[in-house]
Amino acid sequence: MGKVRRYEVTAAGDFASVLAVLTDHLGLRLLSHDEGERSWLDTSTGTLGRAETTLEFRRPTGDATPSLTWACEGRVLVSDPCVSSTPPVQASDLPATPAFARLVALVDGGELVLGPTVSSQIAVLACLDDEEKTTARVVFDRSETLDGVALPMMLEVLPLRGYEDDAAALEKKLKRSVALSASSASMKELALRGVRSGHGASSGHDSAALVPSMSAAGAWRAVFQNLSESMTRSFSGVLSGNDPEDLHAFRVAVRRIRTILQDGDDVIDPESRDRFRHEYRWLGDVTTPTRDADVHLIEFPELVATLPSSRREELAAFNDVLLRHRTDCQAAMVAELRSLRRAEFGTAWLSFLADDDSWTGCGEVADEPVLRVVLMRVNKANRQFVKSGRKISKKSPAIALHELRKEGKRLRYLLECFGPLFDEKALASILKPLRELQDVLGEFQDTEVQAHALLDLAGELASGEDHSALMAIGGVIEQLGVRGADARASFSKTFGRFDDRKVQKAFDRLEPRKKKR
Amino acid sequence: MKVLATYNIKGGVGKTATAVNLAHVAAAHGNRVLVWDLDPQGAATFYFRVKPKVKGGGKAIVRGSLELGDAIKATDFDNLDLVPADFSYRHLDLWLDDAKKPLARIRRALRQVSDEYDYVFLDCPPSISLTSESVFRAADALLVPTIPTTLSLRTYEQLDRFVEENPDMVRELKILGFFSMVDRHKRLHRRFMNELRTAHPEILEATIPNSTDIERMGVHREPIGAYGKGSKPARAYEALWSEIQNRL
Repeated sequence: MGKVRRYEVTAAGDFASVLAVLTDHLGLRLLSHDEGERSWLDTSTGTLGRAETTLEFRRPTGDATPSLTWACEGRVLVSDPCVSSTPPVQASDLPATPAFARLVALVDGGELVLGPTVSSQIAVLACLDDEEKTTARVVFDRSETLDGVALPMMLEVLPLRGYEDDAAALEKKLKRSVALSASSASMKELALRGVRSGHGASSGHDSAALVPSMSAAGAWRAVFQNLSESMTRSFSGVLSGNDPEDLHAFRVAVRRIRTILQDGDDVIDPESRDRFRHEYRWLGDVTTPTRDADVHLIEFPELVATLPSSRREELAAFNDVLLRHRTDCQAAMVAELRSLRRAEFGTAWLSFLADDDSWTGCGEVADEPVLRVVLMRVNKANRQFVKSGRKISKKSPAIALHELRKEGKRLRYLLECFGPLFDEKALASILKPLRELQDVLGEFQDTEVQAHALLDLAGELASGEDHSALMAIGGVIEQLGVRGADARASFSKTFGRFDDRKVQKAFDRLEPRKKKR
Repeated sequence: MKVLATYNIKGGVGKTATAVNLAHVAAAHGNRVLVWDLDPQGAATFYFRVKPKVKGGGKAIVRGSLELGDAIKATDFDNLDLVPADFSYRHLDLWLDDAKKPLARIRRALRQVSDEYDYVFLDCPPSISLTSESVFRAADALLVPTIPTTLSLRTYEQLDRFVEENPDMVRELKILGFFSMVDRHKRLHRRFMNELRTAHPEILEATIPNSTDIERMGVHREPIGAYGKGSKPARAYEALWSEIQNRL
């Protein structure tokens, strides 16, 4: 029997438009289209997962009866209405049918634990032969966590026994018609990650569905696809400017893509790499002023709170200056993001990701196992970072710490984006001191940038008559200086914790040990 | 794995409809079900819209050179698979005749998939032949659809006698007769049913009505439960399946 093939739908478009392609263009017959909530259940020890089965409690939108579906590798073993409107807790709560009797035996008295819950639209389609017999099924699934975080749209091709060749032919057609990227993660796994991270399956650090045996090119592509999803999700929020978190998430994704592009030599086609590095640098730059303005606004009240109460009121006018400045930055940024350049670059990037040919024979190590390639690059980045860090002294200029921070980011993003490939414990023991160190470097950098920016903006007040406000800003800048000095003072100790022998040894353990048989 | 063969010496009594509909009911209850269409006419195969062709040939299965699993085709229904008919099955008797231990051939082929299915339905061609004897050896029960007419009564008794007289061949085989294509408006049907039940109290209580809904299986090309769920004949097959399970 052919295995279920899973794909992430990377095509631009919503559920309805992709579904229309499947039905109208590819001629698949729509068997069902359901909307509602669904929750995955398992025992606390993961018995069902180990048996490669899933148990779903589905609560359709409207008055329809909830159902329980037990499936193995995407194939429904049984699906029965559920009398109760709540998910079963005990095995005895399961419907009394022969199939569920097998499930009861499998659960063996254990309690069922509620796993992730998502809101889904699921379409099941059939590929038919000339006798109108189903030769393969396609499950098209769009889900989001209950707090509204969209998970990647997934498409599963389920070959039917005896019709494996037909399913393979269908897959080829699908790949030609819809932008897809192979995924090893099921929707349950994506949902679990999405619910845990609260940032969707693709925006997190370890979101890409990676396995050590993947080709380097395949893994790079998967990481880019996940990060692009994250950018897409936050893009409308960036344009609206209502929530600074959207711009932050967008910029994090951009920075990660830049890092992975930077470390993509001999993995990605050099011409494309150069082009997209250039464009992503531009994209990062056009969003920087707005992000800085956001940070001023977010942190300003906290900074003001450090001043004597008599001086705080004097800064009310400066808050208006910050707001005006932020509005101007946002408008300029939106103009750039709506520009032809951005549109052309965005389209080119998505086409690059979707086009299989762009990822075939594209570099010297493109076809090598990703783990080997990534470990080499992580170790190189770490050596560079440690070398630069050891050179930092009390006399080093601020720019040296800024450069070190960038090197640290490169290392951190490599570790986080390819995180699923590494040994979990070793990764955690590296990331903890690295993140602490980055926080210190970030604090130093931010206070420097903010102090300069506030000084510039204070010029607007200086032209007026309100000198007391100007004096108060001086107080704020002083506070920033104190914070920056504190951060700088703690650098040596924090860097020492990262440069510790134990942490450095953990890099040798990043390659997961092979399981004993 | 239980092997159930729909069988009658006489043709046109509803064997294939029984195999297809009971298999569908059993699968809908979450059982893993396989239908093996042994009838060269391939009606069960037609009902499931599968092409009547065994890749490698039906002969290879019987001879053991082709695994039964390799000939299995999934139907459009969850948990329900089919070994399609092949027109070459018209030579099944000859192949069995040429083979060593012919009576064990079907059973041996089924053993290969015994872990994969809870129930196997064998849809047999009408007649008493080496094929049917091989089926008797493989099956746990014969499901015998019987139209309440004189001729059917006669064939049911022929089968009953055959099984009784060949205890070595059939071993633990259960004969589960039931009335099929029953028209309760016909006095003759009602009379024969009473007579046969008196003579053979082991006949199942559930009856399958004579219904155009069942005939329409050929138009829909699917089990009645798929297009006429809740209809009288669909409920009759549900009741029949329930009774069969109690008897097994």
